[in-house]
Amino acid sequence: MAQVKAVKLTKKFDQLAAVDGIDFEIQKGECFGFLGPNGAGKTTTVKMIHCVSPKTSGELSVLGQPANIDNRSIKQVVGVIPQEVTLDIDLTAYENLMIFARFFDIPNPEAKKRVNELLSFVELDNRKNSKIDELSTGMKRRLLVARALLNKPQIIIADEPTTGLDPQARHLIWQRLRQLKRQGVTLILTTQYMEEAEQLCDRIVIMHKGKILKEGSPLNLVEEEIGKEVVEIRISKEEDEKLIEQLTGLNCGHERVGDTLYFYCRDGHEIMKKIVELSLPSYLNRPASLEDVFLKLTGRSLIE
Amino acid sequence: MNLSYRIYYVFLRNLVSYKRFIIPTLVISIGQPLFYLLTFGIGMGAYVGMFGGKPYLYFLVPGILISSVMLSATFECLYGTFVKMIHEHLYDSLIATPVSAEDAIAGDIAWGVFRGVISGGLMLIVAIFMGIFPVSLINIFLLFLIMIFVGILFSSMAMIVTSFAPNFDFFNYYSELIITPMLFFSGVFFPLDKFPEWIKTLAQFMPLTHAVNISRAVFLGTYSSSLISNFIVIFVLEVIAFYIGIKSMKRRLIK
Repeated sequence: MAQVKAVKLTKKFDQLAAVDGIDFEIQKGECFGFLGPNGAGKTTTVKMIHCVSPKTSGELSVLGQPANIDNRSIKQVVGVIPQEVTLDIDLTAYENLMIFARFFDIPNPEAKKRVNELLSFVELDNRKNSKIDELSTGMKRRLLVARALLNKPQIIIADEPTTGLDPQARHLIWQRLRQLKRQGVTLILTTQYMEEAEQLCDRIVIMHKGKILKEGSPLNLVEEEIGKEVVEIRISKEEDEKLIEQLTGLNCGHERVGDTLYFYCRDGHEIMKKIVELSLPSYLNRPASLEDVFLKLTGRSLIE
Repeated sequence: MNLSYRIYYVFLRNLVSYKRFIIPTLVISIGQPLFYLLTFGIGMGAYVGMFGGKPYLYFLVPGILISSVMLSATFECLYGTFVKMIHEHLYDSLIATPVSAEDAIAGDIAWGVFRGVISGGLMLIVAIFMGIFPVSLINIFLLFLIMIFVGILFSSMAMIVTSFAPNFDFFNYYSELIITPMLFFSGVFFPLDKFPEWIKTLAQFMPLTHAVNISRAVFLGTYSSSLISNFIVIFVLEVIAFYIGIKSMKRRLIK
């Protein structure tokens, strides 16, 4: 049975549909990613899953129970790594976790044990007595990870867990999340970073304006939507018509954005040969990535 | 109303964080009432002389005491709660746990009450040092119960204001237009009987008037049947304010 199941799930703020009738199922032990630009509805969706935001219509169940805001038993077994740093700045790192353990009814001796274990799990054992504002952004994030694990959750929700982190801190968090997944925990991730989704997720959905555009494994999505390779050619608009004519019939889709012409190909050999023949001044041949899928589906123009 | 014993956990969180601020907050919460007590009590008291057969301070202390409960409870649930909600995102992390929004808000109301009782208790200690004693030891205990009883009302009222405050400045309206007039028209510093009728009637609509009556009666041990209506007014208002405060804050927290 699916651990999380949504049918026609909708969330409206006034008249605006932040989440617009989406369906998805998340299985036990998988890492499921919600990808999308700002305002796509990712965070709103996960907030409904962990019962802090009520749905407008549709169905949503978590671990077989209806997810509504008064459902304490879902919250008891879900761990949340929030997007914003919601640590208690009046308390030390250690106190933060101890108080949080209370909220889950964890008895004191057990709480002490878990807090110490988790502080070393996120490599913060030497910062135990630091106040929150003495911690770096990366440390705060790690503390949030530790906090999300206090209740030994069956489902972990990570809402853009590495936004604003340096590569070292990011990789440490990824390692920890993968470690948890190996232990059988279900991971639900929202992210704007394609690399993050590729690193962690078994399956993803790409969301845009409250709707799910595509669903699949990162690898399959790239193959289906883009192919294997991308060729980027910097060329002015006036010249490109002739070029497109010359390069058609090579089984590549193309798209123009700004000063660049993109060719998406199953196999880039043929087109590269042609390009070399034409001795074009500026081009790039690279493997297709999830980012291409993302941009193709959600548009390359700025989203504000 | 999805309330549970977890209110206590929220209270406890505030207590743990409080130990860092205990000295400055004690100084602040005792400062203003002490100032009133000294200026009005000693300065004006020298002119006023005896009041119902006792020194003026016996009239003033129970009024100041309950006003300081009002002020501390109010400010905690205005500024304290607002900071926790908007700047520290504390509520966001609370409601992601089995603590419900109602638990979190009620926990903060309880905290406001506690802060009020601390202020009132300090005033009582200062008064006793000045030689102004409640009528008996039991009445000291009763006064603490009254402080809790009254604190719930003013914490809850402040919670309602916080629930729709767009920013800090908004609190000025409440404190200048509601709290300060109450301080002067509720019989804290002088009896209301010399005022014109319409002010006396207006004063009956101010919850502090009833709180002062109760506090004074318990402090001095002079009970009358009108106390019953004072209790009823406070009780009814606080049930309503508590309910609206929680509902309205919940609407702000959960979107």
